[in-house]
Amino acid sequence: MTSMADNKPMQKTASKFMRLLAFIGKHFNDWASEIGGLCLLTWQIFLNLLPWRWQFDGPETWRNLYQVGVKSFPIVVVTAILTGAIMVIQSGLYIEQYGAYGLLGWGAGYTILREIGPILIGLMFSGRVGANNTAELGTMKVTDQIDALRALAIDPIGYLVMPRFLAMVIMLFLLVVIGDFTALIGGAITSQFLLGVNMKLFAASVIAYVTLDDLFHGLIKAFIFGCAIAVISCHFGLSTKGGAVGVGRAVNASVVGSAIAIFLIDYLIAFIIN
Amino acid sequence: MIVVENICKTHLGRPVLENVSLTIEEGTNLGLIGPGGAGKTLLLKIICGLVKPDSGTVTINGVDIHKLSATELAELRFQIGMLFQNYALFDFMNVFDNIAFPLRQEGKLSEDDIEKLVRKALLDISLPKIGDRFPNELSGGMKKRVSFARAIIRQPPILFYDDPTAGLDPVTSSKIYLLLRAMQQERGTTAVTISHDIDGIKDICDVFCMIDRGQIIFHGDRNAIERCEIPLVMQFWRGFSDDDLDG
Repeated sequence: MTSMADNKPMQKTASKFMRLLAFIGKHFNDWASEIGGLCLLTWQIFLNLLPWRWQFDGPETWRNLYQVGVKSFPIVVVTAILTGAIMVIQSGLYIEQYGAYGLLGWGAGYTILREIGPILIGLMFSGRVGANNTAELGTMKVTDQIDALRALAIDPIGYLVMPRFLAMVIMLFLLVVIGDFTALIGGAITSQFLLGVNMKLFAASVIAYVTLDDLFHGLIKAFIFGCAIAVISCHFGLSTKGGAVGVGRAVNASVVGSAIAIFLIDYLIAFIIN
Repeated sequence: MIVVENICKTHLGRPVLENVSLTIEEGTNLGLIGPGGAGKTLLLKIICGLVKPDSGTVTINGVDIHKLSATELAELRFQIGMLFQNYALFDFMNVFDNIAFPLRQEGKLSEDDIEKLVRKALLDISLPKIGDRFPNELSGGMKKRVSFARAIIRQPPILFYDDPTAGLDPVTSSKIYLLLRAMQQERGTTAVTISHDIDGIKDICDVFCMIDRGQIIFHGDRNAIERCEIPLVMQFWRGFSDDDLDG
C-alpha cells in the first residue's frame, strides 16, 4: 500500500493537469462565446437587411457615413499615395536591372489593386473606424446608454448597428476605389521623379496589362473586409463589460480580431478565386 | 399593477437575487431601499424587461413581459419611463435632442409640439437655457435632471427611478421630489423609486421594500416600516448604525 507521501507528487501532477484543463476549457469557452456572439449579430444584421424587415435609422446613417467616410478620406489618401510610391521604389530596383520599364505600371497596378490597396486600407480603416466604433459602442454599453435605448423602445440593432454597418461597408468600398486610384497616381509620380520612367509609359503599362478582374478582385475583398470590420467592431462594442478598462479591452480585441479577419478572408478569397 | 414572482438571478455562479416576489399596486410609488450591491438596480432592470431573470415572472397589467416578442416588448416600453442611476444620456446628442428623442422616435407629434414640450420640461427641471449643451458639458446634478426630464417626457403611466436625487443639492432634490409627487398625483403613475435618501422618499413613496443580499427582508407601508424591528431595516430607516466604525 502506498503512503500519503508517495501520493503527493501524483496529486501535484493531477492538480497541474486539472488547472491546465480548466485553462484550456475557459479559453475555449471564451472563444466559443465570442464566435457565437459574432454569428448572432451577423444573423440579426442579415435579418434587418431583408426588404420586408429593412430597419435602420436614416439620420444616424448619414451621420455615420460622414464620420466613417469623409473623415477617413485624408488618411486613406496619404496611405495610398505612400503605398503606390513604395511599390514603385521596391520594384524599381529590378525594373532598372532588367530594363523592363514597360512593366513598372503593371507590377505596381496588379499588386495595388489585388492585394496591397484593400489590405492596407482595410487595416487602416479597422484601426481608425473599427476601433472608434468599438470604443463608442462600448462606452454606451458601460454607461447604460444601450439599456436607455431599449427602455425607450428603440432596437439598438436598428438604431446603432445597422447605420454603422451600412456606413462601414459602403465607405470602405468607396475608399478602396479612391485609394487604388490615388496609389496609382502616387506610383506614377514616383516612377517619373525617382526612376525617370515617364508617367505616360507607366499609365500605358497599367492600361495594357492590368485587367478589370484585378480591380474587381480587390473590390470584392473591400466589400467583405467592410462587413467583417463592421460586425467585429460592433460585436466587441456591444459586449463590453467592466467600465473604462473593459472599453480598452474591447477596442484591443476588436482591432486584433479585425486584423486577423482581414488576413484570413484575404487568404480564403485568394484560395477560392485562384 | 406590477407583479414580480419568484425572481432568481445569478451572476458568474453567484446568486444575486433569490426568490424575489412583490406586488406594486396601480397608482402607488414603491420605495426600493437597501445597501449598495444588494440587487436593487438589477431587480429594477428585470422588472422593466432589460434583463432576463434565470427563473420567475414579471407581469405588468397581466402580461408576462419576459414572454413577449421583441416587438410586443417595444410596444409595452412606450408605457414605461426609466431614469438610470448614471444618467445614460446620449453623448452624441445635445440636451434638447436627448429630451426630444423619445418623442421623435414615437413619431406622433410635430416638431413644433415637441419643441414646446421639451422647453416646458427644461423649465420644470430649472434648466431652461442648456438645450444646446452636450452631456459632457454638464455637472452630475444637471445630467440627473436632464435624464429625469427625458424619462417623463412621454408621460408614461409607469416610471422607474434609479436614485433620482443622487448627487443633487437639497434644493434641487426637493424640486425633483415635488415633480415625482405631482406626476403621481396628477396622472396616477405607478412608480418604483430606488433611493438611499430615506428622508426624501419617506413622503413620496406609499409602500417600501427593503432588499438585502438579493432577498426581500421587508415589504410594507410607512406605518409598518416605522414599527419594523428588523435591525437592518431600523438602521436604514432611522439612518444610524449600531456597529462601531472600527469594529
